[in-house]
Amino acid sequence: MQPPLKSLDYFQKSYDIRVGQLKEKRVRGTKIIGTFCLFVPDEIIFAAGADRLVLCGGRTDTIARAEQSLPRNICPLIKSSFGAVVDACCGGNLSCAHVQLVDVVVAEATCDGKKKMYELLPEYLPTYVLDLPQKPGSPEAITYFLSELRKFGTYLEDLTGNAINEEQLKKEINSSNETRRLLHRLFDMRRCDPPPITGSEVLQVMQKQFFLSPDQFREGIRQLCEEMEHRIPPARSGPRIMISGCPMSAGNTKISDIVEKKGAVIVVEESCTGTRSFWDLVEEDKEPWTALAERYLRIPCACMTPNDQRISHIVDLARRYHVDGIVYYTLQFCHGYNIERLRVQKALKKEKIPLLAIESDYGDSDVEQIGIRIDAFLEMVS
Amino acid sequence: MITAGIDAGAATTKAVLMRDREIVGYRISGTAFDFLTSAEKIYDELLLASDIDRNDVEKVYATGYGRNSISFADRGISEITAHAKGVYFLFPEVRGIIDVGGQDSKIIVVADGKVTDFLMNDKCAAGTGKFLEYTAKALEVPIDDLGTLALASSHPAGITSMCTVFAESEVISLRARGIAKEDIAAGLIAGVAQRIMVMAKRMALTDHIAFVGGVAKNAGMKVAFEKELGITLFVPFEPQITGALGAAISAHG
Repeated sequence: MQPPLKSLDYFQKSYDIRVGQLKEKRVRGTKIIGTFCLFVPDEIIFAAGADRLVLCGGRTDTIARAEQSLPRNICPLIKSSFGAVVDACCGGNLSCAHVQLVDVVVAEATCDGKKKMYELLPEYLPTYVLDLPQKPGSPEAITYFLSELRKFGTYLEDLTGNAINEEQLKKEINSSNETRRLLHRLFDMRRCDPPPITGSEVLQVMQKQFFLSPDQFREGIRQLCEEMEHRIPPARSGPRIMISGCPMSAGNTKISDIVEKKGAVIVVEESCTGTRSFWDLVEEDKEPWTALAERYLRIPCACMTPNDQRISHIVDLARRYHVDGIVYYTLQFCHGYNIERLRVQKALKKEKIPLLAIESDYGDSDVEQIGIRIDAFLEMVS
Repeated sequence: MITAGIDAGAATTKAVLMRDREIVGYRISGTAFDFLTSAEKIYDELLLASDIDRNDVEKVYATGYGRNSISFADRGISEITAHAKGVYFLFPEVRGIIDVGGQDSKIIVVADGKVTDFLMNDKCAAGTGKFLEYTAKALEVPIDDLGTLALASSHPAGITSMCTVFAESEVISLRARGIAKEDIAAGLIAGVAQRIMVMAKRMALTDHIAFVGGVAKNAGMKVAFEKELGITLFVPFEPQITGALGAAISAHG
């Protein structure tokens, strides 16, 4: 075991500072937006003078609370998120204070489970839903999404009392792009063999991406990259693995932890807590609203159809990161990613890249069974 | 070179001794509460029966669910790899393996003894030996007789539930309706077979398939699979030891 990366402490410390910062900002009248998805553009929120934090639930202890209202057979992320909102708004003490930090929730029309859960939220918190075209490839889709983004802008202007001007929006685009470039730098270093950072370490960082302020987050990534450049990682004994699939929200590190405990090293994550969050940049010398609409519709979420861009992206990543195998991770009852697995698997078979499909929830009851599969898979690809 | 393989399974523990890649002997016994004690016991028995001193065994490899508990083993390998190696030793031509054990079922795709893909069902008892064990109890038939009884059926009953708990009550209601025991037995076996066939077809297994694990001893089950696949399955002389055998072969290097 090599000593842990010191820069990771920065992220932990920043987390505490950030909670205080958000509380203070709110007192001073800044509107704080709770989000659940990558499709809600940070740039517009910041351009309106608001701030944001992600509310996606990765904890198991709020699920029982959610199941008092929601069906059991929907994904744990939806249940955990909803449970945290209900608990926080009904005087519970299960969830961390995140929900109490927000003024409104900006939701998005992605999967069915989330859409229907969002319909229940207004009882607890003011909720705005951003609509998404789900066949993203056409010019009409861009036009429609553009109109949705502008509507969202107007909503934020009304909420904050600040007008969004083009110059500010461009500044925010540059700022978000800078974060994306830094993440590219971090992820690029993982192409080395052996990589200077583990997947579990990267996950800790990525889970804070939309919680910390952009300045805090970038400073952390800069420090981390510096430290990694001077780190001599121990020789690699296990295979290079890529994780592909559902997000791993804060509180959920189960699969990455098992894979690396079994001796493999995760070199890239194709997920919302991985490449999907930063891969594409927003074009900077274009009309900003259009540039945003185009970039955000390129996020290869499984709620899109057909999602060919995701499949080719996975194959591309597998080559770029020299992976020995892919662990395809789906949250239990996440139909989008679960069904899409078959097309991904077929494309990978052609490329002779092995895939192991794991479906799991937030509980610990299947840790052993998953371990058995991972063991066998790692032996198979070694 | 003498090597040993221990398969610390959830339901049974198996041990195989090999000398220069030839099987010297094997032992199968129910797993008690403690994996290690069960393994120690049958390993000692096997050594004694084979007249081999423990110190003369150069390497011991463990596999199975409890492999990490086998402290006297030099290494642990996954049961997927172990079965593939064990089956390859017995039937080199095999391309696919159906393993139905007490607590899980697996489909393994192999090429020259190497695993190329696999699928496991172990989240619930459906499609495993446990399903047959519980439902046989509801039918009041010893588990070992269930397969033979099923072969006597001409009109297998339809068992619609694959949940072990619900299937148990389904058996009871079929009995109450006066359905013959052999027809219910055949229905149960067909149910498990269908469940596992879905996995096998998902893995595109068509021919040269071995059937291993405790449930492979069930004659009715073998017939049900063969009917479904339209082929003859390769079943080892002792279908429960392929995991331990594969571990002993791996230990040989």
